[in-house]
Amino acid sequence: MSQPKEIFVKTDRCVGCLSCTIACAVEHSKSKPLFGAISETPVPKSRVYVQWVEPEGKVPLVCRHCEEAPCMYACISGAISRDENGVVITDKDKCIGCWTCVMVCPYGVIGRHLEEHKAYRCDRCPDREIPACVSACPTGALVYDTVDSFSGKVRKHASRELLLAEGG
Amino acid sequence: MHPGSCCWQKGDNVTEEKSKYIIVGGSAAGMAAAHTIRLHDWKGPVTVLSEEPDTPYFRPLIPFLVSGKKCAEDMVLAGCGPYTGRDIFVRTGARVESVNTAEKTVSVQGNGGMAYEKILFATGSRPYIPPEIKGTDAAGVFALRTLAHAKNMAKRVEISDHAVMLGGGLLNLKGAFALLERGLKVTLVVYSPEVLSQLMEPEDAFLIRKALDTAGLTIKTGCSATHIIADSTGVTGVALDSGDEMSCQMVCIGKGVRPNVEFLDGSNVRIDGGIVADRYTACNAPDTFAAGDVAVTFEPVSGDRIMTALWTNAVEMGRCAGRNMAGVKTAYSGTFGILNATQVADEPFVSMGLVHTTNHDFEVYRHATETTYRKVVFNPGGTRLIGAIFIGDITNAGLYRYVIREKMPVMNIKRYIIDHTLHYGHFVTGKN
Ligand SMILES: Cc1cc2nc3c(=O)[nH]c(=O)nc-3n(C[C@H](O)[C@H](O)[C@H](O)COP(=O)(O)OP(=O)(O)OC[C@H]3O[C@@H](n4cnc5c(N)ncnc54)[C@H](O)[C@@H]3O)c2cc1C
Ligand code: SF4
Ligand code: SF4
Repeated sequence: MSQPKEIFVKTDRCVGCLSCTIACAVEHSKSKPLFGAISETPVPKSRVYVQWVEPEGKVPLVCRHCEEAPCMYACISGAISRDENGVVITDKDKCIGCWTCVMVCPYGVIGRHLEEHKAYRCDRCPDREIPACVSACPTGALVYDTVDSFSGKVRKHASRELLLAEGG
Repeated sequence: MHPGSCCWQKGDNVTEEKSKYIIVGGSAAGMAAAHTIRLHDWKGPVTVLSEEPDTPYFRPLIPFLVSGKKCAEDMVLAGCGPYTGRDIFVRTGARVESVNTAEKTVSVQGNGGMAYEKILFATGSRPYIPPEIKGTDAAGVFALRTLAHAKNMAKRVEISDHAVMLGGGLLNLKGAFALLERGLKVTLVVYSPEVLSQLMEPEDAFLIRKALDTAGLTIKTGCSATHIIADSTGVTGVALDSGDEMSCQMVCIGKGVRPNVEFLDGSNVRIDGGIVADRYTACNAPDTFAAGDVAVTFEPVSGDRIMTALWTNAVEMGRCAGRNMAGVKTAYSGTFGILNATQVADEPFVSMGLVHTTNHDFEVYRHATETTYRKVVFNPGGTRLIGAIFIGDITNAGLYRYVIREKMPVMNIKRYIIDHTLHYGHFVTGKN
């Protein structure tokens, strides 16, 4: 089997245009085209977040699908599991909205769907070849690649550091 | 004979079963350990001995059986989340009566003996029933802990109009909501001045209290039950120390838990409240380990010895014990005594680390709005975060937990912590 791909972030390239967040919300809407999506209730939610760091840093954040995913072990209802592609998924039916996963994810990338009282996160766009956020990014700040290939290119990547310290 | 075990001949021709790994207790800690052993030792037999009649399940889900939102099958552990390992043999209805650590054997009630090479004690805890409350053996008195309890409780709901919950902890709140959903009137009797006193101070709890009142719970604080009144139909009422009596058909006791250690009476395994485990989750006798609610472990910030009653902690410690049992020496990082996330009524909240601050000289910041409340607690020098409560808005709670647990110097991020605007980007750019 070929090595699974991951979404990597090149923070120096992000200009904060939020194209990724819009594409993500649309991809996870009921009526995929944008115009339908923005009029849906509840409003479709993005699973990628662009955070702002003074003075002018922009950092896109998305679930890392961690090796020893703390959220998966912490979940008190068995709603979080890893699929055959290495993607950590939240089963909406099993989720009881206890937010234990939110309390343990060190990246802050689990969203809370208040209307449905369920947790949600990046599912790596199972219906797409390349995740919507990566396709939408105009500057190449989001990269979809295998760990080996990507780390050969850029190893100094901070988003793995917390994880390593967590034992992941 | 079962898969996962084999027979061996003992002295006087007594045939006894043997399993390389024996795990006593098949819940969070025990099953996490069993699955972890499988990752490191794919063929050593793993046998889980569990007293309960039900196969392992997600214990925190049992209130949903009372409310009727889930059925027992929805709670089964096997095959869900990280519990997908194979060749783990679980024997239900198997209570371990005693352990002989010199001969490395256990005796199973009504079922002979079994030998082990390594053993994990993951027997968890059971509800504490205060002896000063009289009449707790009446039908209709519950202390919710097992699936079997939940099933009985769900049945009693059918003949009840009013339930009285003794104790204002999270367990009783969850039970109370399950009963409200079934249409019962529910009264919470709390000895402390406010609900959730283990997880926060009274002034921290006002939003939650408001949510509980709005949801229709009746709450009586500052009083406790003296006895339960019953007749042939079971519970008919509760008498309080205030002299009041309330009529009800159901009583739920949520007064904390006690570790299940009695099966180790007469063994030389060290007990001090719970089973004492070292930094590698090992007990004092050779090849014995402990994890979960039953284990005495330590708090990472203060280093104090503590026992916790949390699923999340039990899984983490169980995984660590599993590694150590399979020969991968791994230090346990300890647990916060308080590490709670949940939602009561419409109010999500997280409470973690050190949050009881009255009469301490910690540096404390509080912030309240109509719909949110937070309290962040730093050490007296203000250099480290040691605890946090978020109510209403729990955004990025995991980052704060991380900062607490890793004892990170907070100089550069302190104002984000106080303002609750910390995000992972602050760590990334700090390092780039
Ligand atoms: C209603 C409810 C809601 C909860 N909600 C949460 C929550 O939201 N978040 C959270 O973190 N925690 C929650 N908890 C707490 C959590 O369920 C416990 O901390 C956790 O189950 C502890 O796991 P454990 O494996 O240590 O022990 P336990 O789950 O107590 O399991 C121990 C098992 O060992 C068995 N056993 C005991 N003695 C013997 C013996 N001698 N021989 C064989 N078997 C034996 C017991 O029957 C039991 O099955 C909740 C608990 C309850 C009851
Ligand atoms: S801990 Fe956070 S980043 Fe890691 S898999 Fe879970 S949600 Fe994703
Ligand atoms: S919010 Fe849902 S997915 Fe997250 S820990 Fe709770 S049950 Fe599991």
